[in-house]
Amino acid sequence: MRKSLAKQALNADTNAPAMGRFVGQSVKRVEDQRLLTGNGTYVADVNPEEVVHASFFRSPYAHAEILSIDLAAGLALDGVIAIYTGKDIERLTNPFAPLASLANQYTPVFYGLATDRVRHVGDPIAIIIATSRCIAEDAAELIDVDYKPLATVTNHREANDPTIPAIWPKNDSNVLYEDEKIYGEIERVFARADHVFTETFSCHRVSNQPMETRGAVAEIDPDSGEITYHAATQSPHLLRWILAISTERESVVESLKYLATNRDRLKKFGAGAKAFLTEKKDDLAKNDSTASTNQIKKDPSTLAHLGRTFFNTLGSRRYPRVVAKDVGGAFGSKGAVNREDVVLLAAALDLNRSVKWIEDRSENLADGGQAREEDMTISVAAKDDGTILGFRVELVMDQGAYPAVPFNCGLFSNMIKAMLPGPYRLEAFEMKMKVVASNKGRYLQYRGPWANETWVRERMLDIVARELAISPTELRQKNMFGPEHLPGKMVTGPDLDEDMTAAATLAKAIEVADLPAFEVAQAEALTIGRHLGIGFATYHEAAPGPDNFWESVNPGSDAFLPERVDAVLGRDGSVSIKTQQLPHGQSHETTYSQLAADELGIAIKDVTLVYGDTDNTPFGLLGTGGSRGGPVGGGGVTFSSRQLRRLILDEAADLMEASVDDLDIIDGKIHVRGVPALSKTFADVARAVTSRGQAASTANAIETHVVYSNAGNGGWACSTHVCWVDVDLETGFVTIPRYVVVEDCGQMINPAIVEGQIRGGVAQGIGAVFYEKTVYDESANFQSSTFMDYLIPTAMEIPEIEIFHLETPASVEADFRGVGEGGMIGSPPAINNAVENALAHLGVRITEQHLPPTRILELAGVIEAE
Amino acid sequence: MANSVTQRAGHAENLANKPGGRDQAAKICKGLGVKNPPFAYHRPETLDEALLLLAQIGEEAKIMSGGQSLLPVMAIRLGQPENIIDISQIRGLDSIETESDIVMFGALVTHSQAEASPVTRDSVPLLHKAMPYIGHRAIRNRGTLCGSLAHADPAAELPAVALALDAELIAASTDGARFIAAEDFFSGFLSTTLQQNELLVGVRFHQAPAGMLTSVQELSRRHGDFALVGLTCVLQLSSDGLVDSAALSFFGVASTPSRATQAEQSLVGSRPTTELFEEIANMVSNELDPPSDTHASANYRKHAAGVLTKRALADCMSQTGVLT
Repeated sequence: MRKSLAKQALNADTNAPAMGRFVGQSVKRVEDQRLLTGNGTYVADVNPEEVVHASFFRSPYAHAEILSIDLAAGLALDGVIAIYTGKDIERLTNPFAPLASLANQYTPVFYGLATDRVRHVGDPIAIIIATSRCIAEDAAELIDVDYKPLATVTNHREANDPTIPAIWPKNDSNVLYEDEKIYGEIERVFARADHVFTETFSCHRVSNQPMETRGAVAEIDPDSGEITYHAATQSPHLLRWILAISTERESVVESLKYLATNRDRLKKFGAGAKAFLTEKKDDLAKNDSTASTNQIKKDPSTLAHLGRTFFNTLGSRRYPRVVAKDVGGAFGSKGAVNREDVVLLAAALDLNRSVKWIEDRSENLADGGQAREEDMTISVAAKDDGTILGFRVELVMDQGAYPAVPFNCGLFSNMIKAMLPGPYRLEAFEMKMKVVASNKGRYLQYRGPWANETWVRERMLDIVARELAISPTELRQKNMFGPEHLPGKMVTGPDLDEDMTAAATLAKAIEVADLPAFEVAQAEALTIGRHLGIGFATYHEAAPGPDNFWESVNPGSDAFLPERVDAVLGRDGSVSIKTQQLPHGQSHETTYSQLAADELGIAIKDVTLVYGDTDNTPFGLLGTGGSRGGPVGGGGVTFSSRQLRRLILDEAADLMEASVDDLDIIDGKIHVRGVPALSKTFADVARAVTSRGQAASTANAIETHVVYSNAGNGGWACSTHVCWVDVDLETGFVTIPRYVVVEDCGQMINPAIVEGQIRGGVAQGIGAVFYEKTVYDESANFQSSTFMDYLIPTAMEIPEIEIFHLETPASVEADFRGVGEGGMIGSPPAINNAVENALAHLGVRITEQHLPPTRILELAGVIEAE
Repeated sequence: MANSVTQRAGHAENLANKPGGRDQAAKICKGLGVKNPPFAYHRPETLDEALLLLAQIGEEAKIMSGGQSLLPVMAIRLGQPENIIDISQIRGLDSIETESDIVMFGALVTHSQAEASPVTRDSVPLLHKAMPYIGHRAIRNRGTLCGSLAHADPAAELPAVALALDAELIAASTDGARFIAAEDFFSGFLSTTLQQNELLVGVRFHQAPAGMLTSVQELSRRHGDFALVGLTCVLQLSSDGLVDSAALSFFGVASTPSRATQAEQSLVGSRPTTELFEEIANMVSNELDPPSDTHASANYRKHAAGVLTKRALADCMSQTGVLT
């Protein structure tokens, strides 16, 4: 490395930084020393003085009216400090108002605790505060609730049944959202088809299962009243805002008075809001203005709640400082704000003391986040020669009882809509979407929240190929956007640039797979009763996608996407990068340090990443999610660091009486190119700046930032997965002798981390297909409350996963595309396709994603279904 | 009793407040997490002390050795025993002893200890073969043979092994000791015929006679899980190559481990052939009446029991090198 570094320095004839020292290399994770030696600081490790402990009392019923609650025995228990129920929470907090509702959507208004009825097993009814968690749980056992059970809604069929009462009565029905979009001349296209193939696919409910459950510590300084909210979260600024608007109960008049006496705050807010509104006028204008009107028509109280949200945003005195240090995974489940968060903070504020809640695994399985329960019926219009003309799709999503805050199924169904055509050239596409409520846990975003678009499409393409007697890979190649069709446009709108290389990943996968050899092996194996199969799945993923991507999902929402990154030179010469991202397993500290170190000519260890503290990081509501950490946050780090480099060199040029164009930075030393002996350090520069007095009043020598959206190309991460299976038709067990991922995520910052993300995603896909299922019985009783019931695959169940990278030469700088979610998007269809391929000679057609041993034998006709 | 630690130990902080209790509290917390219901903790250091305690409080007491089954059940508050009698410090219960043709495993012998012992491998090969299927290494390091037998999970391996080998379980109380045949020991789901004042102090097996053929077959959703269906199989052939005796002891198919007696009887006296094994497998599938749950259907378990029967019998015969 040293050698190549010297060479680069010698060859350098511009002021460009010596790129490529760290970026592109599998640099060891800087997080590992801390995390693997047990020195991480997770929220459970936070123990403020005099902290007391919370436990939630949760509903054992799926749907019931609460007739009465008797707390006497619980309150009498030694060590119990307080118990709050829904009635208290109605008094202490504001309800969750629909902040991200769509037109034609009803989003219920609800509180952190159940008030009059419970709507799923695990619905929180009371919070017990005690001197220990044990005592809190002892008290929970003494709470006596009188319930009147109500009819349950367990599945799509029941949700659509008008004779079953609505679990949100203001909506009159259990259908919460219905919409339809048509792209192209759908009728004409289907009339032209030689064939229309139709199939209904059904995906089961699974659960985001991070190693660390949810949890928070509401730390209150009893003297100053200062609030610090420590949380396991993906998005601290979002959490801070929602906590503030939820726990401020002063009247609007009081809020206005407060603002009148705190003009600085009003000015600051006003200026920020004005800038935002001016800058984002065009984006925001795309919002459907009927969204709120429909909602308010159904529930007039929405208007009051939204009004209060507005005033509280300006005037809340309850803005906590949100702090998150190490977070032990989330897979989307910590991006939402939890009902428990608001309840915990309200209790802590009411008691004026610090309260801690660490969720246990059973709670997490019941209400920590569930996903993917979707049915889709797809019709494909095709020509005899395999040309695919269009899709018609009907989607039903089961949101469970309470919508996630703030993003819920209405948005996710539109993500499925935008992406379902995939990297294929369709002439027309019709999508009907429906979101229903049921007596189950919260549907949350889970690693690739739209993933079932790929599952349904890639599954269906295999079926169409079989029907038309064309090979599945040939059918895909025939219809996919190839280089000759690019730049192009998805039928749903998003632009596709030349770097959208889905077709190249498929071509490489076909080459790696050696299909002719496999087919010989498959036929031979069958003669001795072994069932081998192979399956492909190709997708492209908006990571982050082109400028017009979000317009195709939900017009107006792109206003929130740009991300600010700060680059700072400290007074001691240290370099920090400040981000609104919240690492929870993605290795930001390593990759962002690689990027900044290369830009600045310093070592990785000389970069400090500052994150997870709303007092000390740039504002951003999204946190870490949506495969944005690499492309958006990473791009921002590159350009903010470059800006900082320029500012440092400007100072150094003065200091060294040299032209800035003649300066270079190597190993943290600034010198005139070719004269390494005479150099200045970053500390010298910092000292010069601060001694001039300009920065004397600030904590840092130089501060600079960029606001960054994307690299300017399509931002499409592309991939093809290939799965080989060996199905044992005696036992129904499936082994995966080989698994290949061919992917293109643009320029890799750290290949080892890219591969780790892909392997983790594939493992979760294998989990979803063979092991993981959140089960509710026919009366919505929860059946998956432990890890003996909900099976997470272990290392023993996951095969070796081979990864081939296509790193197309970047047409733009900072061409990083996200890989956080793709592994989980491509794997279920590839595995399902492989199993169907293995059992095709038995006439098996796979329409359900989950294939435990029993189901395999039922499909193959070995045993009867019960 | 003087030396035993008897504290109200369910809540770590309660214990920590008592003199000398802090270390103990730390120890409890480490094992239990902190969310178990309250209980009194007793740690006798001799067998006599333990038996005396049992005689006094047996009705409300639960014995703990490795804690691998009990503690998770308590952590989710499914089990709320008022008293825990921790027998882990009692000396003399942790050995594997051989006497004439009997091999005895004491109450504190861990799975790992039994797994690593040449005595197990040479004298009780069926037990040795079952060991890798028990949970994971960490569980085997702490869990005990007798703990598993007394817990009597019908989907666990060891009760089926005991049943297949006609093991004897040694129950002690202040009234003395008695031997309970495995077939009389398992009385229902997670229940045994141990009396409330009795402690399972050991299990004994006959040394495997020369030529004993054994096989353990198991299907579980994941590595280390409880079985969807499992089978421990023992076959003895006579000198003329006919089946002399057979044991087909299943786990995961009923509320207790269970032998497929009809199929066993059909094996005895027959010549072992693949055709016969096919028939026996069908017989097993028809004979068993397993439950359905979220992990597998009853039909699946019936079918899979037959498949495992075929595989176990073939595995046994492969040890002789003769299969016609």
